[in-house]
Amino acid sequence: MTTATATEPATPPPRAPSLRRYGRMLGRYLRPQWRAATALALLLLSSIGLQLLVPQILRRFIDAAGVSAAGGGGIDAAMLAAPVWWAPGGLAGLALLFMVVALLTQLLGAAATYAGAAVGWTATNALRGDLARHCLGLDLGFHKTRTAGEMIERIDGDVTALSDFFAQFSVRVLGGVLLLAGILTVLWFENVWIGAAMTLFMLLEFAVLARTREVAVPATTLEREAHAKLFGFIEERLAGIEDVRANGGGPHALHRFLVPVRTFFFHTRRAWMLRSVVWLSSYGLFVLGSLVTLGASIHLVTIGAITLGTGYMVFQYMIMLQAPIEQITQQMQHLQRAGASIGRVDELLRTQSALARDGERRLPAGPLEVHFEAVRFGYADAPPRTPPILDGIDFRLAPGRVLGLLGRTGSGKTTLTRLLFRFYDPDAGSVRLAGIPTPALDLDDLRRRVGMVTQDVQLFQASVRENLSFFDRAIPDQRLRDVLHEVGLGEWLEHLPDGLDTLVKAAGGNLSAGEAQLLAFARVFLEDPGLVILDEPSSRLDPVTERHLERCIERLLRGRTAIIIAHRLETVERADEVMILDAGRIAEHGERRRLAADPGSRYARLLAAGRGRGGLEAHPDLLELA
Amino acid sequence: MTTLTTAPPTAARATPGTLRLLLTLAWHRRALLLLNVAIWLLVHASPVLVGLFMKGIFDTLSGQATAALSPWAFLVLALAVDVMRIGALAGGVYAWASYWSEVILRMRRNLLAYLLTAPGSRRLPDSPSEAISRFRDDVDDIAQYLEHWVDMWGLVLFAVIALAVMFQVDPLMTALICLPLLLTLLLTNALRPHIRRVRRAMREATGRVTDFVGETFNAIQAVQGSGREEAVLAEFERRNGVRRRTALTDALLAEVFKSVNDNMVNVATGIILLIGAGAMQRGSFTVGDFALFVTFLPRLTETISFLGAMMVQHKRTGVAFERLSALLQDGGPETVVAGAELHLRHGPPPFVDPRRASEPLRSLRVEGLSARHGDGALALDDVSFELPRGSFTVVTGRVGSGKSTLVRVLMGLLPREAGAIWWNGTLVEDPASWFVPPRSAYTSQVPRLFSDTLRENVAMGRADPAHLRRAIELAVMERDVEVLHHGLETEVGSRGVRLSGGQVQRSAAARMFMREAELLVFDDLSSALDVETERQLWEGVFAQRGKVEGAAAPDGATALPCGGSTCLVVSHRRAALERADQVLVMDAGRLVARGSLREVLSHSSVLREIWGEARGEALEARPGGPTSAC
Repeated sequence: MTTATATEPATPPPRAPSLRRYGRMLGRYLRPQWRAATALALLLLSSIGLQLLVPQILRRFIDAAGVSAAGGGGIDAAMLAAPVWWAPGGLAGLALLFMVVALLTQLLGAAATYAGAAVGWTATNALRGDLARHCLGLDLGFHKTRTAGEMIERIDGDVTALSDFFAQFSVRVLGGVLLLAGILTVLWFENVWIGAAMTLFMLLEFAVLARTREVAVPATTLEREAHAKLFGFIEERLAGIEDVRANGGGPHALHRFLVPVRTFFFHTRRAWMLRSVVWLSSYGLFVLGSLVTLGASIHLVTIGAITLGTGYMVFQYMIMLQAPIEQITQQMQHLQRAGASIGRVDELLRTQSALARDGERRLPAGPLEVHFEAVRFGYADAPPRTPPILDGIDFRLAPGRVLGLLGRTGSGKTTLTRLLFRFYDPDAGSVRLAGIPTPALDLDDLRRRVGMVTQDVQLFQASVRENLSFFDRAIPDQRLRDVLHEVGLGEWLEHLPDGLDTLVKAAGGNLSAGEAQLLAFARVFLEDPGLVILDEPSSRLDPVTERHLERCIERLLRGRTAIIIAHRLETVERADEVMILDAGRIAEHGERRRLAADPGSRYARLLAAGRGRGGLEAHPDLLELA
Repeated sequence: MTTLTTAPPTAARATPGTLRLLLTLAWHRRALLLLNVAIWLLVHASPVLVGLFMKGIFDTLSGQATAALSPWAFLVLALAVDVMRIGALAGGVYAWASYWSEVILRMRRNLLAYLLTAPGSRRLPDSPSEAISRFRDDVDDIAQYLEHWVDMWGLVLFAVIALAVMFQVDPLMTALICLPLLLTLLLTNALRPHIRRVRRAMREATGRVTDFVGETFNAIQAVQGSGREEAVLAEFERRNGVRRRTALTDALLAEVFKSVNDNMVNVATGIILLIGAGAMQRGSFTVGDFALFVTFLPRLTETISFLGAMMVQHKRTGVAFERLSALLQDGGPETVVAGAELHLRHGPPPFVDPRRASEPLRSLRVEGLSARHGDGALALDDVSFELPRGSFTVVTGRVGSGKSTLVRVLMGLLPREAGAIWWNGTLVEDPASWFVPPRSAYTSQVPRLFSDTLRENVAMGRADPAHLRRAIELAVMERDVEVLHHGLETEVGSRGVRLSGGQVQRSAAARMFMREAELLVFDDLSSALDVETERQLWEGVFAQRGKVEGAAAPDGATALPCGGSTCLVVSHRRAALERADQVLVMDAGRLVARGSLREVLSHSSVLREIWGEARGEALEARPGGPTSAC
């Protein structure tokens, strides 16, 4: 019971600072895109340079205007002397320059954002692909304990949380830092006092934002929960609308509805208020900063230390500080979340499959021989000291023979068939197909040569073609059509509005249970397997559909080795041999006819009981008696 | 546009317009509404003062214009306005959060109330999750438009004052600036539908990726067992590629949208500088005027963009009302905006069961019942039968023969096309509001439980513990309740996932018994029950009927525990068929045979087939099946 499930990394991953892990991942997925990344950096740098230029132009404009105004209502002689009206230094020239620079800044900024998104999506899609590939290769032990919702969260959710990192970290954080540095440098050169004051202000704002950023997070979580509860309540009532209405439950449901309604109301209002604390404190600081800057400018202009234009420029720079400061704190917050996601992604990628994939041998054509040799197996996640699920399983099934497998729920029937697919390796003994131990076989080849139909048919919201071929586009349509005809779905196919392209709706909404079963058979026919495992559907099918299925089963079993997990005694009548499992051991195995004729056999007693009312489950002690 | 200031509507017209509906909705909490309008007027219009003070500062500093105040006084005034504005914002968020939440909750409550309690048959136009999207998105759309109406006054006031001031400074320049602003309006409104379309495409593409991951790992055994992981991965990557393309288109459009707005401000600023250069030469345009124009510009653009969005939102709100009416079928949009007490402040008062008295069932007669499926195909064709008091009638037939449709049309859960129903000789006009407790109760084929305790699910508003015990006992649930960790207080989980399939069905049966109804309708109750449990259940029901009949004689009282003297049962199992007084055999929507089991067996091949199949009743009829264990 040691190796049956994927091993999570034994020691937790070293708690590398999230920035370093972040950097490693950034490096791995950005390296292939270095051209795009370089272009991005260039765009960013030019956009920042231009942004810094805009207030400078405005200063010169105001100063020039001020000079001309101070000159007594007339215009400065030098300006009038300019040969053309848009000459640099002239007011009109400055105005045009402003327009060109502002437009360019905006366009370069937009281009940088777009390029950042493109790089980010390429990188995160590569990561999604890697994760999906990795998870598809993990063994069933790993998947058994994880819901589909969890897998969505880990393959898409975590990566999407990282995508902000890939797409925007460079653009926003690097760009923001550069812009801040640029603004402060310009100001320090302009006036030491202004530079120092701005630097101080920037530090203050970072400190306040860092403190307030997280204020609303718990309240927002509660708000989302309240939201989910409200819609959950509505959705459940709508799904059960007939149960509610026909039992007169409407008024009571509406009364109960007031509970999630109140929770929604109070949690929403609280979350809004707390979030407003975040942006109001940021807005308040901004107002304070700009008014203080304005006051400083008024003072310096009044004493003649700076020109009016410089005062205006300082004010403009102050306004420009706001955006990068907000972006940087916001991204730092994302970084914290990305850190958690990186940790989970890392952990997932380090999880190893319990199954070695180094087998290379291929199975021969035609029906396969099955041979279990002293097989013992237990699930790795079972509590300690539980007996194995299978113990001392030892049998041989000759090519082309059909085995009916009987036993109560929990006796190990399904587990036995899972070993044949090599979803797990046995703890002891060996499973051989055509004489070859399963680990020595190429895993994909093995799984294609063993076909399985379970009662639980799993469908995709995709076309009939894709559902049939598991998205393998190499399979020609004609082959798919032939197979559908073969299982008796030919007429059904002809009635589909778009033929093979018809979409199968969620949870098989436009497919009856019987048709879904037949589709599952078609999947198996497509592979032409040498061994077929059939988990017989036990309920919910009407007699007519069942007859269709029976014809299908008959055709499927022809010329193949087969193991049928039977829930009905009638089904077992197709089998050449019968095996009864009890608590993981073979309780009885032999020729069906011989066992039926021997009144002392368990099988014969089962037959006798089945002729009465009920079945195995109605008489749970039957198997104990034998 | 003046409707908001007129009195609230007194009588709704045949099809009220969007604005009238919106006003009805908004007016339920008029004091809070007017408070919101006042606060947001202050918030949106006050920046006009800040702009004027900025002009004052720069004018006094440059000495280009004489002003009554020093620059410091202007600075203090600006500070005062900003402080006031921050206060107004905080109050505004509180007021609007209260108002907005109440408005959307009221609409959602109205929708749910109509769907769950209004007369007539209710069939959701699509799946419940699609209905949820209407509950969420369409309601949000309407509230969004209301928000526009609250914000509009302040923004328009700002724009009017700002333009007037600017016009006074320099009419030509102001007129020239308005040009690019109007261009913004045209361009952004032209872009909006594309942005919306792409965003929807992106959501769909994302959905296709997450669905695919979910389905793949749900079917992991089938995928791995097929040995086609590579093909599945290729499909995953293809879907990821589609999502990347739509996401990038979305990013591109968003940037174009932003560029249009930002660049129009840039162009307008450039125009100010260009024309200002000349005006400054003449001395008619000051640095302060420049500061004023530049402060007003971005906000003016915002206002223009806002008005554009509001025009679009008007249309969307009309569509939202239409979609909600379609969800309600015959409800009409007035239902959505009706008033309803939500008991937000102090919580709801205790529940009072609005139970009506009813006449005991003597006979139920159905004649010529017909119905059609959603796609127009005939689902039920001219079905007639009668249920005498105390009878046990089993409806049987193949899958898809119309058994379930028959009982659902009878109870008004599905609309009928023709036919009449008589309850003790009284013609039933609206089966949906007639066939409810205490007349009848029902368990559906796939019963739904709700995320709540087992007790709440079974009792559904009825409190009597003795009845609850009896209902649990009749539904053969006692053992299960003992075994469950918290007994009746066990949370059953979303749709009852924490219970087994059989437990869900029996909980639904208990819920039905708890209704104490005259007529019990079982739609294929036993599909997840094993043979022994099913036998116990029917025995219980029969014993119950005996008691009801025995006691009913003297005074006709029906107040016996769990009622139910007459049963209508959909089943193809022997345990039910063997007990039937009357068997109704359905085939392709028609009633093909009717009578006692013996009679019908002798001349209905369909029933013989079902009877034969039922003989070998599944070896493993217990829920859960072999896939869940090992």
